[in-house]
Amino acid sequence: MRGESAIPFAFRVISWLTLAILLIPVVIVILAGLNSGDYLTFPPQGLSLRWVVAFLTSETFLPAFGTSLLIALITTLISTIIGTMAALVLSRARGRIVNALRVLFILPIVLPGIVVGLALYVFYISTDVGLARTMAGLIIGHVIVTCPFVIATVTAVLVGFDRSLEEAARSLGASPFTAFRLVTLKVISSSISAGAIFAFIISFGQFEVTLFLSGPNLQTLPITMYTALRYSFEPTAAAAGIFAIFLVVAATVTTSRITDLKRIFGR
Amino acid sequence: MSDIQLVNLVKSYGEMQAVKKISLHIKEGEFFSLLGPSGCGKSTTLRMIAGFVMPSAGRILIGSDEVTHLPPEKRDIGIVFQNYAIFPHMSVAENIAFGLKLRKKSQAEIEITVTSALRQVGLVGYEDRYQRQLSGGEQQRVALARVLVTKPRILLLDEPLSALDKALREEMKYWIKELQRTLGITTVYVTHDQDEALTMSDRIGVMQKGRLEQVGSPEDIYERPETLFVTTFIGHSNVINVTVKGRDNGKTVVSFGANTILARALEGEVAPGSAAKLVVRPENVVIGRTGEGLPATVLTENYQGALVRYRLSLGEQEIVVERQNQSNVSRFAPGEEVGVSWDPERSEVLVA
Repeated sequence: MRGESAIPFAFRVISWLTLAILLIPVVIVILAGLNSGDYLTFPPQGLSLRWVVAFLTSETFLPAFGTSLLIALITTLISTIIGTMAALVLSRARGRIVNALRVLFILPIVLPGIVVGLALYVFYISTDVGLARTMAGLIIGHVIVTCPFVIATVTAVLVGFDRSLEEAARSLGASPFTAFRLVTLKVISSSISAGAIFAFIISFGQFEVTLFLSGPNLQTLPITMYTALRYSFEPTAAAAGIFAIFLVVAATVTTSRITDLKRIFGR
Repeated sequence: MSDIQLVNLVKSYGEMQAVKKISLHIKEGEFFSLLGPSGCGKSTTLRMIAGFVMPSAGRILIGSDEVTHLPPEKRDIGIVFQNYAIFPHMSVAENIAFGLKLRKKSQAEIEITVTSALRQVGLVGYEDRYQRQLSGGEQQRVALARVLVTKPRILLLDEPLSALDKALREEMKYWIKELQRTLGITTVYVTHDQDEALTMSDRIGVMQKGRLEQVGSPEDIYERPETLFVTTFIGHSNVINVTVKGRDNGKTVVSFGANTILARALEGEVAPGSAAKLVVRPENVVIGRTGEGLPATVLTENYQGALVRYRLSLGEQEIVVERQNQSNVSRFAPGEEVGVSWDPERSEVLVA
């Protein structure tokens, strides 16, 4: 081993250990979902697809999965657009108001989800906005939670963005908007995609805020899994977990295929 | 017509005036350099011509068109930046085609133009490369090609050589100048490097603290500096404190210590007795034996290959002298008593 790598042996042990600790829950969920027994146990009593079938035919889990997917997609779309625009302003404008806005936009990351959820819940039911227990209300909550992640990723690349690229485009005849569309947006596109992945993953797994804003007819997958496990200890929840894991992995892989994730995280 | 006129141009940022009332006429086809130390306002002036910075006061005219408040895309200007600003997500060919596409040229025309532009800048075969695969010099050629295909009325160059290594800088200096001469395009070149400005320019504007100190040909700037700043910024100069005595036969008489000598005529009247600076370039001072000119003492001798540089004490003051190191020229040792002289026409009197 000596001389082959600059990374000390101890560091590599720690890295593998960390990776293992991160992956063990995933493995447990997958195996528990493939359990052939009647209860959620680990190690599984035998392998079967019975709970996967149960998930796919479930009247609660499958719609919840669909709801989560729909909410995550809409949230991602809104958060990515708003977040990118906010990042542009925050990274380019100067002044006291901008500094205040920067803090304000990042606040949802540091605020506990419970606080955001409670605040929105109280706001919805104590006013006549008509958003309580509606999908629109829930999406607003998710956008508030996910937007800072888009802002943070996009700001990170905009800080190093060379404005003379835009100026070069302008002097070659491009209007401000054309220069932005043909140059800036293209150069920062991979970090926008990264922000979008974050938004999607966070929205899909969002629990605390959703807990306050969901209703009997508006159940997302995490809420449904939580409810199911409280009343019956069925492996269906774990089977649902398998699908959730695969969805998130697929989203990440697809996006990283389209855009070059390495360039964002590798710098 | 594509001359450039700056009329009383001012740019202030709050209290700070970056450019203080500059007026300048850059002629059609001219290679004009704005030369000065960093922070002198030369880049701000260039960016105002380009339209990236809006002037606080004054006007900018290109040809007969007032462009003071036009956005950059309406000015018909080509600019090459210090870092070249090659679009990283586009190939070399796409970079060059950028301006042509915006002008809605046909695909066939774009291809022909890009090919001939690549030939012009010597980058045939580089069509499909990306910015990260190009050296600094190559990026600069792409940046120039990208600008020139749009046939701009004027070309602006913002320190285009400062990011290159020395050998390439020398090569590009002549290449850019040659290209400019061939195209006959009005060019404004911003630099802090006096060598670049002196070799490339038709005229130079020396800037300091937001003002134009002097505008003139490279010869004017180097040999007939009008201010002390120009004298000390361009090349090395001996600056001797003198007192003006009067005029004699079209020359100015000055004295310092026990010495009274002649210098090039001052413009305008100066009262006898005023303090002034006498400016002489090191290469214009002739060292001879004692008695041949003003008495001086050699302090140090510094061998530099093609040149030998001496530090001499001349009266109360010190001067530097450079001599070509030729076989028939005698050398002098520290401590030696010598005589120094110079052609009065090669010395300048500047009244503070």
